[in-house]
Amino acid sequence: MSDALEQSFVQQLKANQNIIHKICRLYTVGDDAHKDLFQEITIQLWKAFPKFRGESKFSTWAYRVALNTAITLYRKSTRSVKTISYEKQEFFIKQEDYNFEEEEQLKLMYNAVYQLNDIEKALIFMYLEDKDYHEISETLGISEVNARVKMNRIKGKLRNILNP
Amino acid sequence: MKELDLLKKDWQRNDHTLSQFSETEIYKMLQKKSSSIVKWILIISILEIMLWTILSVCFSTDDYFNSLKHDEIFVWMKVVNYFNYGVILFFIYLFYKNYINISTTASTKKLMKDILKTRKSVQYYVWFNLGMILFSFMLGIFFAFAYNPDVVLLKEKINNNQFILLLIIVVLIVAIGIVLGAFWLFYRLLYGILLRKLSRNYEELKKIDL
Repeated sequence: MSDALEQSFVQQLKANQNIIHKICRLYTVGDDAHKDLFQEITIQLWKAFPKFRGESKFSTWAYRVALNTAITLYRKSTRSVKTISYEKQEFFIKQEDYNFEEEEQLKLMYNAVYQLNDIEKALIFMYLEDKDYHEISETLGISEVNARVKMNRIKGKLRNILNP
Repeated sequence: MKELDLLKKDWQRNDHTLSQFSETEIYKMLQKKSSSIVKWILIISILEIMLWTILSVCFSTDDYFNSLKHDEIFVWMKVVNYFNYGVILFFIYLFYKNYINISTTASTKKLMKDILKTRKSVQYYVWFNLGMILFSFMLGIFFAFAYNPDVVLLKEKINNNQFILLLIIVVLIVAIGIVLGAFWLFYRLLYGILLRKLSRNYEELKKIDL
């Protein structure tokens, strides 16, 4: 029954929503944009859900659909990308072992990641999620070698942003 | 790259700080697409009635009817006008109800039903408007023939010549056809796009709802 399908989708999405939240965090600034992207990804996932037959884990499948949605949307609005100041974000929850220097470094790093383009963000995201190159290549639909090469380039780019 | 490792650690540490959506909120997100389309239908219908009202104020036909010197025409016009506005307001109310229904529905089945209902009400609305245009056209012709002094001359000619009568009928039918066609096109463009989007949503829902 459809209602059962819908229910199972909503439950799984709820359990895995951190994935989407983190993608939104990387691609958007501000609560409204975050929510909009979250909704768009939710709708895309729901549309694709009938094709998801549980051959892979829900989360693996969600990574793929969600990143594709973010990349497509981001590409459409790429002309209006503003320089984003990281200060506006609210990522920093003070840790118990508060370390000023580390905090500063993190701030710079997040700022640098924001300046990457849509595809690069997707790769960095997978990297931050601790996925290996095999999974990165499958999710993004590129070869493993290509993923490695791209990742190295991104690291170079980040270094350049950090030390201009 | 040590900064990247630092970032990775921080990234994974921050999981619990993310805001969470509840199941109801996620359900709502699935429905929102249709509700925004229905909202546009509502907005456009209101804008449309405003446009017609402004147009009718700007291009007043009072002078023309005054020249006919038959006051009962005004009464008729008023009745038609009020009836027209009454029905259109009723439709706007319907659209509003559709909008409320669709934005608060929680189940796919109900949503599909509401989408069908919305489509139907928009179709009725368009047919009503086209009907009204046809009716006012006919009324205008009737008034012209019955009361307009300029037409009296024409009437005499018609009485003498069957061919002119036929010609006039053909010209009138073509004119009505063109006007109706133009309005039909106008409505197709205005609401057709929204309806198509809505029915695409419907098809998607149907695929899921086997």
